[in-house]
Amino acid sequence: MNKVPVLETKNLTKMYGNHVGVKDLSLTVYKGEITGFLGPNGAGKTTTIRTCLALIAKTAGEITIFGLDSHKDAVAIRKKTGYLPGDFGLIPSVKVRSYLKYLLSLRECGSKKKMASLAERLELDLDRKTHELSKGNKLKVGIVQTLMADQELIIMDEPSGLDPLVQQEFYRILREEKKQGKTIFTSSHNLAEVESVCDRVAIIRKGQLVVVEDIQVLREKTGKVLEVEFGDPVNIDELKLEGVSEIHQDNGRFVLTIHENLDGVIGAVSNHRILNMSLKTYSLEQLFLKYYAEKENHERGGA
Amino acid sequence: MLGRITYMELRTGWKGLLVFGILILVVSAGMVQLFPFFQDSLTEQLEGENKVNLELPNEQRGNITLSWEPLENATSYMVLEDTRVSMVTAKIAYSGEGTSITFEKDFEEKRYYAVMAVIDETSDPVLIGIATTEKGEDPFKELLESPVYAGFTGGRSISMLEVKGFITLEFFSWWWMLAGLFIAYLSVSVIASDFENKRMDVMLSTPISRRRYLLEKFGAMSVIALLMILVAIAGLAGGLTSIDALNEISAATVSLSLIGCLPFLMVIAAVGMLTAVLFQKVRTGMGVTFAFVFAEFFLYTFGGFSKSLEWMKTISIFKYWDYSSVIIDDLFKPGDFIILTALAVVLIAICVWAFEKKDIPT
Repeated sequence: MNKVPVLETKNLTKMYGNHVGVKDLSLTVYKGEITGFLGPNGAGKTTTIRTCLALIAKTAGEITIFGLDSHKDAVAIRKKTGYLPGDFGLIPSVKVRSYLKYLLSLRECGSKKKMASLAERLELDLDRKTHELSKGNKLKVGIVQTLMADQELIIMDEPSGLDPLVQQEFYRILREEKKQGKTIFTSSHNLAEVESVCDRVAIIRKGQLVVVEDIQVLREKTGKVLEVEFGDPVNIDELKLEGVSEIHQDNGRFVLTIHENLDGVIGAVSNHRILNMSLKTYSLEQLFLKYYAEKENHERGGA
Repeated sequence: MLGRITYMELRTGWKGLLVFGILILVVSAGMVQLFPFFQDSLTEQLEGENKVNLELPNEQRGNITLSWEPLENATSYMVLEDTRVSMVTAKIAYSGEGTSITFEKDFEEKRYYAVMAVIDETSDPVLIGIATTEKGEDPFKELLESPVYAGFTGGRSISMLEVKGFITLEFFSWWWMLAGLFIAYLSVSVIASDFENKRMDVMLSTPISRRRYLLEKFGAMSVIALLMILVAIAGLAGGLTSIDALNEISAATVSLSLIGCLPFLMVIAAVGMLTAVLFQKVRTGMGVTFAFVFAEFFLYTFGGFSKSLEWMKTISIFKYWDYSSVIIDDLFKPGDFIILTALAVVLIAICVWAFEKKDIPT
């Protein structure tokens, strides 16, 4: 099946005076996919997103969304795009319901029914006043306003800070949206946070795109980290299994980097008495250090 | 111009607007109530002139005789002489127990004489009255025509003894500041607070263009300005009815004088919105807009100081809202109304242009 591009940037550059916001960034977000946009804080994620939405002017390059020019046709694009900013304020002293209805009326699409259903699933009380909301609840209002209008493209800037259970429900909602053919572009500084929902991941660092990869490929390349502490003596050779690329031993605690054969490794580990065990995804910084070690070393050497 | 953003602006701000509306109503209706008292007090003060008589020589040179009615408990009298009625540069021309003085007229200019009675050593002298060498003139007339008041009267000859004069000086000198600064504050904060409170990203992610956003906010300002004007008209007309003065100044005149203020307020609102777009901060925008309003007022006032400074008036928006022309001369100037409206339109167009070029800060 041919992939249909929804959002495309070509050599996008945004300068803030002499400071580089984003440089020569070429990225394509395809229809029906959830694309994660990853990078450490200050990497240029927000700048990229806000340039695409014409909230800030680009310095150079091209951006097309739905085949339209992001700046000239900004209003036409916004009719089909929902956006959750990384930091936003609400109109004070009104009920959440009134605020959301107001935004629905400005969007001229979507439904109150969807608004109510999203609020219920995210456990958001629509009858609360906007200025009474906690940070988490404010984020829920943001998520509802982004998704309620049933738009084709959903852009979210770091939607994190929900309770774990609500976060899971939020991901379920995103997967449902994707099933309906929506295109989702969401930024994060935490790989673990988005890897369960993303189809593809674009990684940005210091204003430049480092890589765009299918999440599956990325997972295989980087692997997971299994930390396990045994209650009985274990020979390190027992753990040298297929799919395990690295093993470190530290006072009875073993750290394994696993690329595949997760069930085989867990099976072998479970032959012993386990005191403690955790399975982690590489953090973004670890990912950079590991996956792009060569590039890093090169950069460091140059510095 | 009017839409959902306008509606939301009015809806969220209605409490503040209501309080302000009540303030306008109370002050506009209440101030008129003070007129009869003010009139009585001023009449009493002016009648003092009759207690002082000044006889001028028939020829260019000769003797002036100044006489006054004795005051029962006065121990002595004092005469102050000045070329201004305000007596700020007065010299003592006489001090003694007599009730008349005669002196040579060895000057050309107009002079004023204030006769004071000294009661005892410990209390201040009492003013018996003021007389001038220009016969048949209300000594306060010069004061009202002075540059200090020209800003409010347009240099017209008005009398504070009439309700028209009272409204022109007392009500409007207060109104422009209250209404003007209120609309300046509102117009800056409706835009700049969206920047400061990070509401702009969500607003501009909806299919609302930046132009529509600004025009709808400007629409809200227009509605608010019009409501303020209507409340002031109701207050003034109600106040005038209650003191039975509608025969001296009609409700239509009151309405026209205040309606002329609408484009004046719209210009201030447009400047406020422009500064909000440029500086994106409530405090900075407010400071600049307030400075603009006061600068315009001073330009108009200073422009009245001399003929050579008249150009200053031309560039002041105060010149184009001539309420005293409506009240005193019954003349509404549609040309001025159009000039201010056009200026507001141009400023809003610049505001839209600037907003479309600006980055929205995070």
